[in-house]
Amino acid sequence: MNDYNHERPLIMHIDLNSCFATVEQQARPMLRGRAVAIVNRRTEDTSIVTASYEAKARGVKVGMKLREARRLVPDIIGLESDPSKYRFVYHKLLAIMNDYSAHVTMKSIDEGVIDFHNTTAAIAGRDLMDIGREIKQRLKDEIGVWMRCNIGISTNRFLAKTAAGLHKPDGLDEINHTNLRSTLATLKLTDLTGIAGRNEARLNTVGIYTPLEFLDADPVTLHKIVFKSIVGQQWYQRLRGYEVDDRESDIKRVGRQYVLERFDLSFDQILQRLHHLSESVGMRLRSQHKAARGIYVYARTLERGYWHASSMSMSPFYTNQTIFTLARQLFLGAPDGIREIGIHCYELQDAKRDQLSIFEDSIVRDQHITSAIDQLNARYGERTIHSADTLSTGIYVNTKIPFGSTRYL
Amino acid sequence: MNDETFLNERVQVVVTFGTGNYPCHPVKFKRANGREIIVTELGLLHPSGNGQRMLHIFDVTDGGADYRLEFDAERLTWHLTMEADHYE
Repeated sequence: MNDYNHERPLIMHIDLNSCFATVEQQARPMLRGRAVAIVNRRTEDTSIVTASYEAKARGVKVGMKLREARRLVPDIIGLESDPSKYRFVYHKLLAIMNDYSAHVTMKSIDEGVIDFHNTTAAIAGRDLMDIGREIKQRLKDEIGVWMRCNIGISTNRFLAKTAAGLHKPDGLDEINHTNLRSTLATLKLTDLTGIAGRNEARLNTVGIYTPLEFLDADPVTLHKIVFKSIVGQQWYQRLRGYEVDDRESDIKRVGRQYVLERFDLSFDQILQRLHHLSESVGMRLRSQHKAARGIYVYARTLERGYWHASSMSMSPFYTNQTIFTLARQLFLGAPDGIREIGIHCYELQDAKRDQLSIFEDSIVRDQHITSAIDQLNARYGERTIHSADTLSTGIYVNTKIPFGSTRYL
Repeated sequence: MNDETFLNERVQVVVTFGTGNYPCHPVKFKRANGREIIVTELGLLHPSGNGQRMLHIFDVTDGGADYRLEFDAERLTWHLTMEADHYE
């Protein structure tokens, strides 16, 4: 008998592939069946965030510039992303998933995992393929007829996600110990989540070129030679269907970046956009009830250069004004010819005042002002109150949907 | 980019209230120029909050163009905010 996981598969991965484009096609019936690209800004030079299946079938890829995509598909329809729509669909999907188990984890705005271990007997007694079909139907009934999703079922998160990718755009597949080898035999190494670029090269150096060769590799080789860490052991377990990815990651940093809308802006205009980002980061930080001690700013230049600077503060901070003051100080050393700027707060801790400082009065005053501004913005809408410095930046640096994190949805 | 027209046009809307996931359903609306649009499909209905002010966004079509209708739940007003009909 092989050493694959022989348990009943109880992990279900649900993925709304091409999510934003599919949601737009649902909302706007005239777009259905057409090549659609979602971008974050209404220009031809912006990168595509999501493309519809019709666009992908004609060679359009995520990350491609809209202008390049139009060369491949002249009739492609470029749409600016509409976060409120995607947020609504995210919450609908989450509500559907929560009906089946108390153990639901959203991995990003368009994908999540249901863990059927420890669910009710009525649910556990059902065939998970049936539940998968039911969820697909509920998406159509509760959101709209154009909605489709890929569902994968397996014994761990990794194989469930792999199963979900087997038959896009409307797949429903299970990977278990009986079909693990035959399924992996149909895939390339880079089809496996987590294997790209550097990891592929590492595997190639020991003669591993296919997922089956990866599966058959011995744990010592993976541990000692390929990954040179416990990561090799984890891959050995993961490929066999054992769970190694069931862990919540703590929030480590909060940040935002912005590609300038024009590359001939003055330094003061760039600072205004940095100020806007600082306010946005401050709001995100406070929404998580966190304060930071570290601040990191970076700039990418037109010549593909990367500049960064960071500093650590003695005491934690979370007000917009402090974040911008620290960021501006660092940013004075930034190079010319900037195309993208970014700011991150790190060394996060819970936002509470547990140590008094000699600047107590001014800190308390800043905190009270920030709290009042947050309350006004919560009541009357985001950026009702903001610094006068960012009066003209709102139309450019507006908030878009963050991929990879569901904390701010 | 796409040929979308963004508007802020006050419109008169006839809606039905029923049951199901989308209980409020626009049937037709009349534009400022007097043109009447018959809604053939409600694509998506979703809320869009701005502070505590709630807008209900109705993405609808008449089979020839897509429209976005916004209902302001505080002011009880309807606006046509987007029209897209030049996909060819």
